[in-house]
Amino acid sequence: MAKTTTFHCSVITPEREVLSAEATSVVFPAHDGEVGVLVDRAPLLFALGIGILRIDGEKGSQRFFIDGGFAQMLDNNLTILTSQALSQGEVSSAKAREALAAAEGMKITDDASWTARDKAIRRAKEQLKLAEQVG
Amino acid sequence: MANKRQLVKRRKAVRNIRKITRTMQLIATARFQAMFKRVSASKPYSEKLAEMVAGLAGLDVELPDSLLEAHSETPRDVTVVITSNRGLCGGYNANVMRTAIEHIDRTANSGTPCDVQMVGKKGIQYFRFLRRAMTEVSPLGDTPKFEMVEPLANELMARFRRGEATTVHVAFMRFHSMGRQRPEVVQLLPLAPDKKAPSGDSADAGAAAVQYDFSPEPGKLLEELLPATVRIRLFTCFLEAAVSEQIARMVAMKAATDAAGDMIKSLTTQYNRARQTSITMELLDIIGGAAAVQ
Repeated sequence: MAKTTTFHCSVITPEREVLSAEATSVVFPAHDGEVGVLVDRAPLLFALGIGILRIDGEKGSQRFFIDGGFAQMLDNNLTILTSQALSQGEVSSAKAREALAAAEGMKITDDASWTARDKAIRRAKEQLKLAEQVG
Repeated sequence: MANKRQLVKRRKAVRNIRKITRTMQLIATARFQAMFKRVSASKPYSEKLAEMVAGLAGLDVELPDSLLEAHSETPRDVTVVITSNRGLCGGYNANVMRTAIEHIDRTANSGTPCDVQMVGKKGIQYFRFLRRAMTEVSPLGDTPKFEMVEPLANELMARFRRGEATTVHVAFMRFHSMGRQRPEVVQLLPLAPDKKAPSGDSADAGAAAVQYDFSPEPGKLLEELLPATVRIRLFTCFLEAAVSEQIARMVAMKAATDAAGDMIKSLTTQYNRARQTSITMELLDIIGGAAAVQ
């Protein structure tokens, strides 16, 4: 029975494999909104955005802040490739607030700096959201 | 006797140095193991990414050529040279610099201006000494982190897209195995297909047979996958350079420790000989004195 209700999910960053576990459902932030994945999902290849990744397993759920990347689902194997994955324990609201203040203080001189500021603000806001979910 | 005391002093000094080099060897060994773990830990990401790219390349997609082709008619090369921040690692930096300079001179002689981006204090010092032109990259520390390498990769890609560079190379010490590291110059941009292409063919066919749901469409997805590939390739270069540095330091410190051991042995022999000579002299004095009294 267990085999039919769970699928394998791994979260990989360039520095290490953050997570490799069985999951019953995963919700990841795609580039244009959240996407939920259940067992036996058809193969998918998505670009990811900045946001919170939620992995529900049989033993409870785990949340990560992820910063862009790609998701691939193939034969009940979901792989999340991202440049940064922070678990709930690794983000703190104080730090996120600091980052948000710094991001809002960034000066805009051209298109590139505008996108950089926008991304930094979104990063900080999502981290803050994740950090505050703890309490 | 002055000579004897001097020998004792020198032996003591050499012993102290041996203690230091041995400790450095142990530290390098520990650091090497940590770095080696990081290299293996970064493999799943690059492998998976290559797999995704291969899966997409198997489809009939219009390739975004922003990173695959040069954007300017006038050739201009950018070479990133990765050296260490610390010395005492044998020929590590010298080897990297030699290969890098060879490459830079060859490119310059063929009429392509070559910008050098220097990473690591040792390389910067050396190029300053040679009075060669270079851009200094802000120090990255001993353990390269992805978020530190990422901005450099982004900057290189931006320059390539603007046509300010038609090729980008990286000179670093490639880590083949524990016993083999070779200085190499690899091309980062324009993006070349992976060397494992022949084995990828069968994987392509398999992956292309899978009907993926794409979001956004495959062409746009590739536009994001390719920069990610460049970033991880540059990051891998940095990681391999760091591993090779620790190995080089390990080997250099082992050699230094062994040499110190040999030196202590020869100093001990010299000291014993000097001691024996002085004893013999004293005995001769005493015997001579006794004989004179009789």
